[in-house]
Amino acid sequence: MSRKQVKGEYIETDTGNKVARKAILIGTQHIMLGGKTVIQAEAMIRGDLARTAQVPSSSGAAPGSNTAVAIGRYCFLSKGCCLRPPGRIYKGSFTYLPLRLGDHVFIGEGTVVQAATVGSHVHIGQKVVVGEFAIIKDYVRVLDGSVIPANMVIPSFSIVAGQPARIVGEVPEGGHEAFELRELYKSVGNNPQPLPV
Amino acid sequence: MSSSNKRQSVLPRMPAGPKAPVNFSSSITIADSALLAGKHTINIGSESVVHPRARLDSALGRITIGRRCVVHERTSLGAAPASAPASDPTILNTQGGVTIGDYATLEVGAVVEAGGTVVGEGCVVGIGCRIGSGAKLGKHCTLTPLSEIQPGEEVPDFTVVYSNGTRRLDRRGITELKHKAQARQIEVLKRLIPSNPTKFQ
Repeated sequence: MSRKQVKGEYIETDTGNKVARKAILIGTQHIMLGGKTVIQAEAMIRGDLARTAQVPSSSGAAPGSNTAVAIGRYCFLSKGCCLRPPGRIYKGSFTYLPLRLGDHVFIGEGTVVQAATVGSHVHIGQKVVVGEFAIIKDYVRVLDGSVIPANMVIPSFSIVAGQPARIVGEVPEGGHEAFELRELYKSVGNNPQPLPV
Repeated sequence: MSSSNKRQSVLPRMPAGPKAPVNFSSSITIADSALLAGKHTINIGSESVVHPRARLDSALGRITIGRRCVVHERTSLGAAPASAPASDPTILNTQGGVTIGDYATLEVGAVVEAGGTVVGEGCVVGIGCRIGSGAKLGKHCTLTPLSEIQPGEEVPDFTVVYSNGTRRLDRRGITELKHKAQARQIEVLKRLIPSNPTKFQ
């Protein structure tokens, strides 16, 4: 490889995160990446909207505990998506609360996620809006163009679609392997490998 | 490799061309990476908040934002109209900008086209909504995410647009509460978003 190629499209970290140079990460001190996460260009993460209300913590505020966005392993944030922590009035004052993503979460292009929690092995399609404080459990498939209303709780193995989103089906038995994102992770980056057919 | 030292490149480039004339109240919060462009005046009323990467373009007319508004990231105010309706192509020629009433909230990725468009007091424009050129939203309307308002349309006060264009009236009567909540939210945002109004002046 020639030396001129050092400046790739992605920044690859030691923990295997691939972050596009054109990704917009705001408030990086409040963003936690679990590793092996891909963040494509124009994806936006609002880490600056961190919790402001003081929580009575028994463990004594550990450094870095004020995470606004926590992302697990093998997550894939497509182009133009936006993750922002949900906010509400809590005990009389407005505060943002953390947004947590599990492992193997795929987020499609142009999707805006303001959920409280997204479980593991979740596929969220393109142009989806996940409303504030929605809770998505494991193995959920959200179809393109859905609008998940605020505070909705989506049980495991559901397929949801519509505006507002409703549960339209169940993930078939044995269908959970389609949620694996390891291969997709390898297919992007500065020296991408082709997807196995 | 010291790629971690190159955080500067994350910041957006300065928008091309001369700065838009602005008229800011002294108490606003505007993020450094908001994008302001155009040749007409951009007015922002007291205690309003403009998130990073919001785009205010006054090329087609003046932009006026009221008091205590929240303009979220990636919203586009004063965008060029997407298309003129076949019935009335003159709408495209209407000069005029965008007027946003007090206590309005424009959520992520909402687009308000230029051309005398009005968003009334206390409206909530949901994520990814598009408000056509010259449309007039009454007071305290709510547009749920991905709703569209056609160019030139007039939406009465307290309308809720949901589920692909279905409409109903909001009879909850919680306007005062919403205003209070908005004020609280702005207080917090003021602390969270580093404001830099001088950059645009």
